[in-house]
Amino acid sequence: MKVHVALCGVLAALVAHAHAEERSALDWLGIAAIAGHQTNYSGVFVYQYDDRVETSNLIHVTEPSGEFEKLESLDGPKREIIRHDGQVWSYTHHQMVQMESQQGRSRFPSLLPEQLSALSANYQANLLGVERVAGYNAHVILFQPKDNLRYSHKMWVHTDSGLLLKAAVQGDKNQIAEQYSFTQLQIGGQIDRSWIKLSTAADLHGKGSHHSLEAAKDITPTNSGWVADMVPTGFKKTMEILRTMHGKHAPVTQMVFSDGLSAISIFIEPNDGDEDDVEGLSSRGAVSLYHKVLDKNLITVVGEVPPRTVMQVLESVRYNGK
Amino acid sequence: MKQEISTLMDGELFEDEADSLLGRLKNDSTVRKNWAVYHLIGDILRQPEHIHCDLSAKVRELLRDEPTVLAPRGRAVKQRMRTFALSAAASLSAVGVVAWMSLQISPEVVPQLAMQQSALRPVSMQIRTNSNDYLVAHQEYSPSAVVNGSASYIRTVSYTRDDAALQTNHGEIQPK
Repeated sequence: MKVHVALCGVLAALVAHAHAEERSALDWLGIAAIAGHQTNYSGVFVYQYDDRVETSNLIHVTEPSGEFEKLESLDGPKREIIRHDGQVWSYTHHQMVQMESQQGRSRFPSLLPEQLSALSANYQANLLGVERVAGYNAHVILFQPKDNLRYSHKMWVHTDSGLLLKAAVQGDKNQIAEQYSFTQLQIGGQIDRSWIKLSTAADLHGKGSHHSLEAAKDITPTNSGWVADMVPTGFKKTMEILRTMHGKHAPVTQMVFSDGLSAISIFIEPNDGDEDDVEGLSSRGAVSLYHKVLDKNLITVVGEVPPRTVMQVLESVRYNGK
Repeated sequence: MKQEISTLMDGELFEDEADSLLGRLKNDSTVRKNWAVYHLIGDILRQPEHIHCDLSAKVRELLRDEPTVLAPRGRAVKQRMRTFALSAAASLSAVGVVAWMSLQISPEVVPQLAMQQSALRPVSMQIRTNSNDYLVAHQEYSPSAVVNGSASYIRTVSYTRDDAALQTNHGEIQPK
């Protein structure tokens, strides 16, 4: 609780400071990253990607026992995601599946200073003024990449709370790859918390009944000997792990490269001849995915980058020996 | 260069750039060839029944020379045999479909994809539900999760009602 109060203080100071004198686009991004985890809010947002629009309800509250978040789809079959700090559950087709469980994840993740500096090396950041989103005034910030191997990112940050109200990912010629936008938002005040009890109860008692709830995830840092020579400039390797993955028998090597705003993951696993993993390129919104078999391994590259980038990265993956 | 041609055809190239490109078009045969292929693609999209056969032969040659980047595994051997047996019309309409689908994502990938053989997965293919685990695993360590919070998880549970529909579309571009 003390931590919480202290962080709230920091946030308030940051926002107040931002008002006191002109803050840069990067400052506002840093504020948005903290505010998203600190503020209690509830609202409806639309997610536009490819040629589709989905509407979802999002509730976020910070309790003494941690951060709780519920995302519920309002169109199509009912899907729900509940997050408690680093643990995430997905409820789909009346089944509950634990999607991830990061015990070590910091309770209030924020952008690290080195991330912010990487970001300014790879993107031109600009404040474009103030616009209205969901009835609130927001600073518009634009991150334009310095090459065509990444997308540009446009964000609308609430002038008072620092909450991210809208975010768009744009490709060449400014066509939108995907966009999130609140259409209705309540910041603070009376927010429904009844679902928190339900979700923690399920967490504590119902473990046996969870469908395909995974055993504790096994994640170990590794040095696999695999390299990718054509990862675009500015993407730095942030981790290399050997991990278990849902639906995979053998451990999978995952390398993550980040440029501060987006990341590229390379997955390397033994090729088990599973016909489901069709080779080739696919995408959803801003995320591109490319599968390819290299010798006896299935390589998968995923990232919030244009299709050409995941292809370029995958084509450069090779085993360099340990 | 190919990108510029495509932009010019869409009528979106700036006037000075268009002038310079038209100049090169007059003098450079490679550029002219690209110009012709792009128009062929456009023609097929508009009127699949009126195809110039002399051009199709050229395109077929080009197709044969292009490496297959995205052919599905497992079917590769059968596919290779089929590819040579394809009629000109079948391969041309496939080029049309692939080109059209990839146009929706990025004009820049058209030059490469339009030239590839018919058994490709087009770039606008939606990520399949069974690849969601990769998205989740990636999401855990992506900075986008820090900025967007749970909103970024919407990607991993997106409503994939059209998985089946896409499979059918995909079937249509396979040679019979």
